[in-house]
Amino acid sequence: MEELKMQTIRLRLKEEVMSGVAKIPVIVDALTPDKLFGKSEAEIKGVKIWWGNREENTGDLFEVSVEGDATSEAEVKIVMDGDLSRVKYIGAGMKAGEIEANGDVDMHCGAMMRGGKITVRGNADCWAGCEMHGGELIIEGDAGANLCAMYRGEMTGMTGGRVVVGGNVSECAGQYMAGGEILIKGNADILAGLNMKGGKITIEGDAIMPGADMTGGEILVKGKVEDMIPSFKFVETTTVDGEQYRKYIGDLAMTEKRAKGILYVK
Amino acid sequence: MVEELLIKNGVVYDPINGVKGEKKDICIRNGKIVEEVKNPKVIDAGGRVVMPGGVDIHAHIAGGKVNSGRLFRPEDGRKGLKAKTKLCRPESGYSVPNTFAVGYRYARMGYTFVMEPAMPPLAARHTHEELVDIPILDNAALPLIDNNWMTLEYVKSGDIDLLAAYIAWIIKATKGYGVKVVNPGGTEAWAWAKNCDLNDAVPYFDVTPADIVKGLAEANERFEMPHSIHVHGNMLGHPGNYEVTLKTYDLVKGITPYRDRPVLHSTHTQFFSYGGTTWRDFESKARAIADYVNANEHVSIDLGSVILGDTTTMTADGPMEYSLYQITGRKWTNHDVELETGSGITPFMYSGKVGVHTIQWAIGLELALLTRDPWKIALTSDHPNAGPFIGYPILISMLMSKKRRDESAEEMHSSIFDRTELPSIDREYDFYEIAIITRAMTARTLGLHEHGKGHLGVGADGDVAIYDISPEERDAGKIQKAFLNAKYTIKGGEIVVKDGEVVSTPEGRTFFVTPECDPKLTDEMMTKLKEMFTNYYSVSFANYPVQDAYVPNPYEIRAPWRS
Amino acid sequence: MVEITDVVCPLCGCVCDDIVVEVEDNRVTKVRGACAVGKSKLMGHGRIKSPAIRVNGALKECSYDEAIKKAAEILAGARRPLLYGWSSTVCEATKLGVCLAEEIGAVIDNTASVCHGPSVLAIQDVGLPSCTLGEVKNRASLIIYWGANPTAAHGNHMKRYSYIAKGYFLPGGKKDKKLVVVDVRETKTAKMADKFIQVEPGKDYLVLSALRAVLYGHEDVVPDNVGGVSKEDILEVANMMKEAPFGIIFFGMGVTQSRGRHNNIINAIQVTRAAHTHTKFNIMPMRGHYNVTGFNQVCTWETGFPFAVDLSRGFAWYNPGETSSTDLLIRRECDAALIIASDPGAHFPGESIKHLSKIPVIQIDPFANPTTEFADVVIPTAVSGVEAEGSVYRMDGIPLRLRKLVDTDYLSDEEVIQAILEEVRAIKSKEGE
Repeated sequence: MEELKMQTIRLRLKEEVMSGVAKIPVIVDALTPDKLFGKSEAEIKGVKIWWGNREENTGDLFEVSVEGDATSEAEVKIVMDGDLSRVKYIGAGMKAGEIEANGDVDMHCGAMMRGGKITVRGNADCWAGCEMHGGELIIEGDAGANLCAMYRGEMTGMTGGRVVVGGNVSECAGQYMAGGEILIKGNADILAGLNMKGGKITIEGDAIMPGADMTGGEILVKGKVEDMIPSFKFVETTTVDGEQYRKYIGDLAMTEKRAKGILYVK
Repeated sequence: MVEELLIKNGVVYDPINGVKGEKKDICIRNGKIVEEVKNPKVIDAGGRVVMPGGVDIHAHIAGGKVNSGRLFRPEDGRKGLKAKTKLCRPESGYSVPNTFAVGYRYARMGYTFVMEPAMPPLAARHTHEELVDIPILDNAALPLIDNNWMTLEYVKSGDIDLLAAYIAWIIKATKGYGVKVVNPGGTEAWAWAKNCDLNDAVPYFDVTPADIVKGLAEANERFEMPHSIHVHGNMLGHPGNYEVTLKTYDLVKGITPYRDRPVLHSTHTQFFSYGGTTWRDFESKARAIADYVNANEHVSIDLGSVILGDTTTMTADGPMEYSLYQITGRKWTNHDVELETGSGITPFMYSGKVGVHTIQWAIGLELALLTRDPWKIALTSDHPNAGPFIGYPILISMLMSKKRRDESAEEMHSSIFDRTELPSIDREYDFYEIAIITRAMTARTLGLHEHGKGHLGVGADGDVAIYDISPEERDAGKIQKAFLNAKYTIKGGEIVVKDGEVVSTPEGRTFFVTPECDPKLTDEMMTKLKEMFTNYYSVSFANYPVQDAYVPNPYEIRAPWRS
Repeated sequence: MVEITDVVCPLCGCVCDDIVVEVEDNRVTKVRGACAVGKSKLMGHGRIKSPAIRVNGALKECSYDEAIKKAAEILAGARRPLLYGWSSTVCEATKLGVCLAEEIGAVIDNTASVCHGPSVLAIQDVGLPSCTLGEVKNRASLIIYWGANPTAAHGNHMKRYSYIAKGYFLPGGKKDKKLVVVDVRETKTAKMADKFIQVEPGKDYLVLSALRAVLYGHEDVVPDNVGGVSKEDILEVANMMKEAPFGIIFFGMGVTQSRGRHNNIINAIQVTRAAHTHTKFNIMPMRGHYNVTGFNQVCTWETGFPFAVDLSRGFAWYNPGETSSTDLLIRRECDAALIIASDPGAHFPGESIKHLSKIPVIQIDPFANPTTEFADVVIPTAVSGVEAEGSVYRMDGIPLRLRKLVDTDYLSDEEVIQAILEEVRAIKSKEGE
């Protein structure tokens, strides 16, 4: 059997980038495993990334080091360190490979990703996994608003892939979700699964007003539900994974014809 | 700026002057076509196709409705993002592009004039503010006049002269170009969530849409108006509406136009050429419409041809947009305008896999191919209703290539074979005919040929498009590419596009018409109008007319009263 | 004395255009037909006297040229500048503002961010079935104010356009109309209502969902009490809606800025859509500043997006929550700000102001306000609608032209932005060399 090779690209954000009065975001959608595959350390340092309204060399903002070789995109792993709280679009649009972000990350982490895996060892700010089509996104801490949702005006959010959030999620998680799976180990703030039309959201903690305007998909809340949406119809009491739930369909506020969402509540 | 320009070695298609693919030099001095030049900058067209600048007779590019479309579709904005350059400002949008993108994209396609066809009079300032912000293109706008309470009351009382006095006033007050009709009576009924067929009574006003169309056509011909009434009739988009369409055409048959032009321009006729009784037995009636147009001289049409894909529909026809939103369940904006008009907007996806959409797609092309005389037809997609204007090159390639139509039909819903006759039509347009339906006919129908547009005769504006294609080319893909990005577009003697890139961005001019009405009639009409303002409008009479500041580059066309 | 009629009022989103003003010795001396606040604006008060630059913590008066030059230096050097405000100035100034934002790669945003921005987000999700205010006056027999208190915020709204106005189909005025008010407390407007619904704070969303279910024929699933409102009351309002030939909901910041924010508005619009299956129904935001709508219009046709537009990368990126002013400032993203015709010092959350006070701030405004206290460059301007003319858009999208009533030595907003833009271009072209 051929040995699986692995290449590790280490990117550490330089301290001076975030040391000013203003913390100006750095945009790193150009730094995904598939885009950096095949590039030398020098070439990676020369990749242009936006810092505010100017384009800079990656090497001017990050300390860059490369270990090992890769024969395909899937063998590339990027490890990001330093203060990542204003580093936006980590892994956005990535197709393969792996990213490990050590710390809290800024908005759009894993947005529009199609494959590969991102692990965030900290919290992720808003729009993580937004319009995600595939791959895996693990957020060990909390996630901000619009997790796995859509960008403004769009009618489809996440369509595929798997997302796990170790902590809590802010409002509108999984809005317009059409496919894929989200597991939230903590609580969900208001309107998780808003406008959901497919896929599955599991909330192990509590949820407020989940499932509003749902037309499809499934939400399961293991904790308690506060402010249940008043336009859901109770169907039956049923057992899921050995536990009893009240099963509702909705949202009838979207008309009966379209109310095909399923909400399990304890 | 280059003062003299010589375009050498072009194969020129200038239908208004009967020039049919002749190798011919074009001379421009100080922005106008001249006989000869002395010390010109020379462009070698190298045997490429040369036409006058394109003239679009109907595209929703500016105003409240268009902007509502942009505002509520950031997802469309996101599709057309382009960063600014040293010369050009940022672009956004696909079906609802920002003003800068409108100018740049039309110019890249070789167009130099666009008519905004639906200006709500009360919001006319808005339309003009956007027109001013569209670079390069000359433009004009048609105010909506058919659902106005003043119109309804004068039609009811049969006072055509007073109606004429009102349309003269409102065209002047809005710096408009002519009379636009959109779902006459139906839009007023929509203020109560109702609609009107051609012979239904409009609620409370006790007139019919048929009365309104006839009254406005007669009133329009009281003046030497450059354009006929521009009509979007009743029941747009309804299965079986072709009969209403033909009856509407018949209403104005006896009216004599002031000059050699139709008395009614029927716009985006594709949407009015439907057979069947429901969407289930929906079918094309393009043949019936084309037969009528072939047999009569008083009607011109534009196509409103479908470009497949996602778009944003928008019209003053409020009830129609509501029906459409009821079908799709997508976002829907409606904006009724007091005493005058309404509007609706909803996104729509035309898919070649859906039977109805496929038939709609075929109808636009059938109309073009079944109508014998191209001088009666204008190429439009009713931008963005049947698709964005950026799809015109696709339509041109379809009209020019039977092969391409056949290939497309193969991939589309089978309804194209059962419910349309498109697959059996062999006709192919040539460059001359394309020049007619994209500039010559449109300029002539709008009366703009007398003001320098749509042709290359001496004295005309130096608006020229050079396409990177030879007159012999028949490959549909190459045709499409050539019409999307002109080799050169020249506007008023200035090169604005070179090799598909915008290289200069002069300001466009706004054309408007000043109908001149008998002062006595105007005075009589004014008494009634001022009552409307005092009692029912929410703005003052004094603040209503568009101030000169909104038309910084004016071109006035006077329309004297016909004695 | 000169009397000027049909004056257009530069105060709130009502943009009343039938005001009569008397001018004597180049001063407005009398105002008729405006509400108290509008009158006070037209009469003028608390003007900034001179351009000034902050030196060692104190504002020091200077010339226009010096202030403009300083402003341009700050903006041209910034990596993430913000151009904020615009709701109390004319569209002509906004157009130049967009141009400036493109030139320096800034974020441009208006006060919608802290008032009706959520309404815009809602419209982007479901659209807006609406109309002009004259339609309301002539046809609306049912008027619902939801989280809005016009007697306080829009003095002439009921009289000119809604409940009290007489119209073509409603010649009797309020005799022919019904007024419903939904709010968390009994406001002055609520006291006038035929039906007042008191909803628990933060529960509007639930009440709206219940109303929709009823309007779509599913009253059976609605519980007896929703967000503090009895099912009976919900059924009664739903019936009033169904039976009115033409109804309208006006909503205010009570809905846009409470829990659920833009999702409350989406739900209110969804209620309107549901009601439209029975009758004619419309909905309209009660926009605050006189030209908050105008900024959104201009910004939309020029950039494609209505507010919170980030031009840092040369193209327009729109993402309120990320690119909206308060978020940018709370996150400390900006390194310079230009504040025009608005007062974040009084209206922004404390943390945003804290960051604003640490970065260079340029203020352009006729009037001193809390923002002046920390601004580093202060540029006074003419009052639009009194000393300068220009385009504005009423809350229902009707464009009107503000009049110039008296002469002034102050530069207009438009002239100041134009001068800064030219100065910025000069700096950039020098850098280019």
